Amino acid sequence: MTLPKPERIILYILLAFFIFTSVLPLWTCVMTALKTPQDVIYTMPLEPPPSPTLEPMIQAFEIMKRPLLNSFAFTMFATIFSCILGSINGYILTKIRFRGSEVVFLLLAIGIFIPYQTVLIPLVMTMSRLGLYNTIEGLILTHTAYGIPICTLLFRNFYEDIPESLMRAAKTDGAGTWTIFRRIVLPLSPPMFAVAGVFQFTGIWNDFLFGLVLARGTEALPASVALANLKGTTTAFWNVQMAGAWWYALPVVIIYLILGKYLIQGYMAGSVKG
Amino acid sequence: MDLTKDKMNTLLVFLPSLILVGYFVYVSIGWNAVVSLSDWKGLRPSYNIVGVAQYVSLSHDPIFWISLENNLLLISLFVPGSLFLGLFLAILLNAKVRAESTFRTIYLLPFALSFVITAALWAWMYNPSIGVINSLFERTGLGFLKSGWTTDSSIAMYSIILALVWQFSGYTMLVFLAGIRSIPESQIMAARVDGASSLDLYKRIIIPQLKFPALAAFVVLMVFALKAFDFIFILTDGGPGYSTYVLPLMMYRETFSMTHFAYGAAIATLLFAVVMIVVVPYLYMSSRRAKE
Amino acid sequence: MTIKNLTKKYEASVGVENLNLEIKDGEFFILLGPSGCGKSTTLLCVAGLLKPDSGEIWLGDKLVTSVERDLYVTPQKRGVAMVFQDYALYPHMTVFGNIAFPLEVSGKSKTEVETRVKAAAESLGIFQFLDRKPKQLSGGQRQRVALGRAIVREPEVFLMDEPLANLDAKLRVHMRAELKNLHQKLGTTTLYVTHDQVEAMSIGDRIAIQKDGILQQVGTPEGVYDRPRNMFVGGFIGSPAMNMLEGNLVKKDGNSEIDIGISTFELPDWAEEAVKEAKRSEIVLGIRPEHTTIIAEYRKNAIQAKVSFVELIGRELNVHLTAREEPLIAIAEPTERLEIGKRVWLAFDESKIHIFDKESQEALF
Repeated sequence: MTLPKPERIILYILLAFFIFTSVLPLWTCVMTALKTPQDVIYTMPLEPPPSPTLEPMIQAFEIMKRPLLNSFAFTMFATIFSCILGSINGYILTKIRFRGSEVVFLLLAIGIFIPYQTVLIPLVMTMSRLGLYNTIEGLILTHTAYGIPICTLLFRNFYEDIPESLMRAAKTDGAGTWTIFRRIVLPLSPPMFAVAGVFQFTGIWNDFLFGLVLARGTEALPASVALANLKGTTTAFWNVQMAGAWWYALPVVIIYLILGKYLIQGYMAGSVKG
Repeated sequence: MDLTKDKMNTLLVFLPSLILVGYFVYVSIGWNAVVSLSDWKGLRPSYNIVGVAQYVSLSHDPIFWISLENNLLLISLFVPGSLFLGLFLAILLNAKVRAESTFRTIYLLPFALSFVITAALWAWMYNPSIGVINSLFERTGLGFLKSGWTTDSSIAMYSIILALVWQFSGYTMLVFLAGIRSIPESQIMAARVDGASSLDLYKRIIIPQLKFPALAAFVVLMVFALKAFDFIFILTDGGPGYSTYVLPLMMYRETFSMTHFAYGAAIATLLFAVVMIVVVPYLYMSSRRAKE
Repeated sequence: MTIKNLTKKYEASVGVENLNLEIKDGEFFILLGPSGCGKSTTLLCVAGLLKPDSGEIWLGDKLVTSVERDLYVTPQKRGVAMVFQDYALYPHMTVFGNIAFPLEVSGKSKTEVETRVKAAAESLGIFQFLDRKPKQLSGGQRQRVALGRAIVREPEVFLMDEPLANLDAKLRVHMRAELKNLHQKLGTTTLYVTHDQVEAMSIGDRIAIQKDGILQQVGTPEGVYDRPRNMFVGGFIGSPAMNMLEGNLVKKDGNSEIDIGISTFELPDWAEEAVKEAKRSEIVLGIRPEHTTIIAEYRKNAIQAKVSFVELIGRELNVHLTAREEPLIAIAEPTERLEIGKRVWLAFDESKIHIFDKESQEALF
């Protein structure tokens, strides 16, 4: 689509406007995180700090240190578990024909869309009965369970594209179902693990509700809830809050900038295809 | 012999997922529904079944109606808003733009961020005295546009909707852009040779073929509009007053602050039903379409 | 249509280089060549869908593309209609909608649109499909819808980009005839791109052969068949391909001969004249399989060859032979008995030989 010159200019103006709107919140966040409390009150949020300081960043880090670690822990494990299970399930649903595999898949797919409020009460009760309330393990279990549907979807769509002929050739060569999985399907899967892994990591890291309901105590406090707490308190002023937001956002931003294309594939799953 | 061993292994390996999802999703949904039929109030669980009493009280509860209204407001403004803005951005980016991927990356970034972060960001931006929005208006002579934003109950919900559209338009843009790009170049060329202006091209050729991406994004947005909790909880916690109450928030408050477990379960069950009404037909339709 | 000095280069390949063509009004003109030779690029430039790096294009007496003057008339305004290899039908519209689209877009009244669309559909035999969607139609039917969309505008020029390439062989032959018929009826100037030389030869008024972006030869089908200007054209036109034998020009007793190692070939008198101009002695002798016959015993200028493979093509045999380790093909009657390994003599129709300079690959006459 080639546009004539004057329209090109309008195009770029519009694009720049939306860059401005997209970036504005992030810019003010960064600026504010580097300001002293006086500067926060007396300078325009858009302005760079007249006397930049790392104080807010340090303060926020002190507060968020442990929660960040917690988040890392359960996010990593839950991501790994849900991805592994997702790939196994995806394989089973596509390559091992059994009656009702479509129905099972549909049931799993619904799991992607359920509002978590619906299962909150039973979840809390289950976790406390299992003694996993307020623990990292509890969060790992929760996030793994609720991550299985989407991971299964991702892997299933991916594995469907592996030609049946590959499977048949392996079978005639005498390979059993799980040998095929180990030696043919898995080696083809790394890109999908990247997609599912990145998608799950950001999803679990960004989660708030489960953290709020299951782990408000200090041992297993996730970073998301810690950041939200920062907002509530009067001790943490805007600059510390913004700094805290930065620390919390950092892993996701890094993943987004470096592995963004995998994340995008995850978002697209099911949007353009059937 | 090997065949059954294979089958055993398969079952073994499938079982954990089946159990986990079966329990954490379906059993839990059922359990929640049962709770909603009980009279559980307070910290001790109680399973006296009282039928639909909770639902009846719900229908008499003005807060419920406010919440529902807000959810509907979300649906009617947030969903179309995000779709149109995303479509607009996708059309803009579909022109041969230099550094297109940079634009795309920046537009999509908000969507990758947690609602905790964006709620914190917007809380700061919307601050009536020193937040960037009111400051900007002041500085550029548009002072009359200043407002209390989330502290003003008459426009708090709209402020929230605006922030959410901001966050989701990158996603809808992504979906539409992919949809536009999946149309074969030859159709575009044919239309141009046939005399179509850019307007004709979009209106009559491109947009009509975006039905399926639009539907997928629509379902995602709809479901979000119904279950949005994190953002609103952190930004306004339902306030000022109850002006930004939404159903998920109400459920949380009733259940965890006021320990009205059965009441909260009723709200949760309703929420589930509505979401299923939206999602199930869509899933059914798209699985049939995938079979073609 | 006039194309002057058209050049369009791509990063990975040369699209078109310095193309000059004059296409007559009402002509069915073919751009022929292997893939990547620049023919589609040329077509897209004529349509206004591609901007060349240099050159000019005239449609009639209207200058529509000029790089030097920075003039590009948009495709919409060029009065050309285009048919694509994948038909480019709009899947969400009915057949009627597809054909009507160009008319609707130019603001014609509803009644006019309806009459013209129906007439076009009628003439192409797809009237009964008017309210179906493209995905319900077969390849040939879709092709006709694409044609319908093109003709309904009554444009001044038709541009066709390998429109028959996606059809199966039989349908292709049938559609070729239909296209030619259509052209005779409408008389519209047509620029047609294809890589299939049989197609080009059967329906073209004139053919332009391109290779790697460079024009090789322009002429009528007979012209390029009888008088190929270089080895490429000689080998590209005609199926099976022309036999090529390397040899040397030598003078013996005042006559020119070609020494091809295993024997010598005395040139007929008419060839002597042309060969006088030859700068080099290394040449390639070209002779088409249809002008190569297997004879029982030695005759003047016959060469010896060994049968390597025999293909029965229904009404004739393609006999593959090797002479001096080089492959040749001769056409023979199906009744001939030819075993693999049999030694035979090949005679060439002397009035049909071609001689190419080995280095420049150009024909000496």
